[in-house]
Amino acid sequence: MSEFLGNTQGALAALYEILQTSVLQLFADPTQLSPNQSVVVAAPAMFVGAVLWTFWSGQRRTKVKLRAEFTPGKVYYHAPPPLKVIPCHTPFGMKLETYLRMADIPYETMYSWRMGPKGKIPWIEYNGEAMGDSGLIIEFLNREKGVDLNQSLSEADKAVSRAFTKMGEENTYWGGVRNRWIDNLDQMQELMEVSWIGMLLLRSLRVKRRRNLWAHGMGRHSKDEIEGIVEKDVKAISTFLGTKPYLMGDEPTEADAAVFGQLSEVCCAFPGSYMERLVTVEYPNLQAYFNRMKDRYWPDWGELTKTSVPLSVIEVLSSQYL
Amino acid sequence: MSGFLENVQGSLVALYESLQASALLMFTDPIQLPLDQAVLVGASALFVGAVLWTVCGGQRRNKVKLRKEFTPGKVYVHGPTPVKAIPNLTPFGMKLETYLRMADISYEPMYQMSFSGPKGKIPWIEYNGEALGDSGLILEFLNREKGVDLNQSLSDADKAVSRAFTKMVEENTYWGLIQERWIDNYDKIHELIELPWIFLFLRRSAAKDKFRQMMRAHGIGRHSKGELVGIIEKDLKAISSFLGTKPYLMGDEPTEVDAAVFGQLSEIVWTAPDSYLHRIVTVDCPNLLAYCNRIKDRYWPDWDQLTGNDA
Repeated sequence: MSEFLGNTQGALAALYEILQTSVLQLFADPTQLSPNQSVVVAAPAMFVGAVLWTFWSGQRRTKVKLRAEFTPGKVYYHAPPPLKVIPCHTPFGMKLETYLRMADIPYETMYSWRMGPKGKIPWIEYNGEAMGDSGLIIEFLNREKGVDLNQSLSEADKAVSRAFTKMGEENTYWGGVRNRWIDNLDQMQELMEVSWIGMLLLRSLRVKRRRNLWAHGMGRHSKDEIEGIVEKDVKAISTFLGTKPYLMGDEPTEADAAVFGQLSEVCCAFPGSYMERLVTVEYPNLQAYFNRMKDRYWPDWGELTKTSVPLSVIEVLSSQYL
Repeated sequence: MSGFLENVQGSLVALYESLQASALLMFTDPIQLPLDQAVLVGASALFVGAVLWTVCGGQRRNKVKLRKEFTPGKVYVHGPTPVKAIPNLTPFGMKLETYLRMADISYEPMYQMSFSGPKGKIPWIEYNGEALGDSGLILEFLNREKGVDLNQSLSDADKAVSRAFTKMVEENTYWGLIQERWIDNYDKIHELIELPWIFLFLRRSAAKDKFRQMMRAHGIGRHSKGELVGIIEKDLKAISSFLGTKPYLMGDEPTEVDAAVFGQLSEIVWTAPDSYLHRIVTVDCPNLLAYCNRIKDRYWPDWDQLTGNDA
């Protein structure tokens, strides 16, 4: 014990002396700074910088790597590669891609695990600029490409449409996060075809998800309470859909892309869960609605899911932490 | 430099040997453990425990202090003290109290400023000696307990629409108010909360950072100010369009969603003057201001009394 203390004291004294001489040297004659001394000065400076950078975590735009060349007016859609069970494991990717297909906007898919400019996926590149958030991207493309999937709706219906979109994306979605990342993480192994190394990585990412759930609020509830909340949301969507083919009537509108995005995950990516039971047993009109949208806008679903690739640990790591 | 490195290496080796010896001794014959080794093992265990506890940030239930005595069946509502601007500073508190008034459930307010509910949030209630958090879950509980159904006149489809608007306003629009109150106008918040300026000034960075991090975790904090304004504006305009010329959101009589929507809008109208939120609700969509006044007049006749504005 005393050996440990003695050594620590010696280490701290030596460190202080080196810092002192290095800083003096830095101010007196930087060119004379020895490599050791520069490291000793630079390392704490970098550490302080890293701490400050972590705290100013507000408006940090993630640095994304863009294409060297692009075709003007073309949408380059960035999303993670398909899984065996679903073309995209994030409901916002399913939503955005479904919207592009509904709006007949041609796009080039760039599969990768890298995060977009807001630190999230999916994201797009357009005319050399990176754009994040499926909702903002849709609004942008509506303006840019002159698209309006809601043109047949009254103002009140557009309002209802927005309300359902927000409920699905800001509430129900978090029930899915809780299920996938906290309650059934082991299922990800099969879903994403990961090795045990990949599972270690996913477990480390789980910490962040827990924090996000807590900050959002949903994570403060018990498992049963969350299931109750999700059930009520799903019931509301089912009741509102009723016997209609699409959410707002006979033809699909923008809300269908959003709701289909969330439902597709529920139907396909949570096998054996209470969520799957809700859409198959309790509210089967939702399963029928999912199939209807899938048949209409995803005729290549089977082809895409066959091209599933295992999770790339290196890509996820470099994307999350670099 | 090499002196420092050697010393660090020496420390780590010594630490490892010490821990190894202590752990062995702990398992073979704990009584023989010398004090400094016990301290070392104990400190390491505490450190590891603290790291794990921080990391497993999930389901920590907040320990709340309950009343020593309670009347069975009585609702004790915990929330912030009324201020000049509004009877309840949190939109979920305005929602809960408005619901209780709509449902004719008598309650006793327990005013306090701390975020001490069982889920770490306010408002919360005490009922039959138990603490309950989350306004939505509390409403569901009281509906069952007291046999209340403010939505009984609604069709199932209307109940669904009702829930969708509740969730939109509480899980999306709400953050616009948070940004405005706690991040953009933090320097004025002592006036609203009626606490000494120095109190809030000392907590300035910590408070702003906390909300920034919450919003970033939620997702909405990743947008620029302009993007956020656009999002919140669309939410408010949607509520206004859907309300139209109706007196209440779902028709001629108030229902549960009116408590939720009024909860959020009342904070905008009465605690966020000079904000873009206020402009939207009063100037761009005047039916929202009329709606707020309608509910205030009907369910909060004691508003001026509570806020001390009747003096």
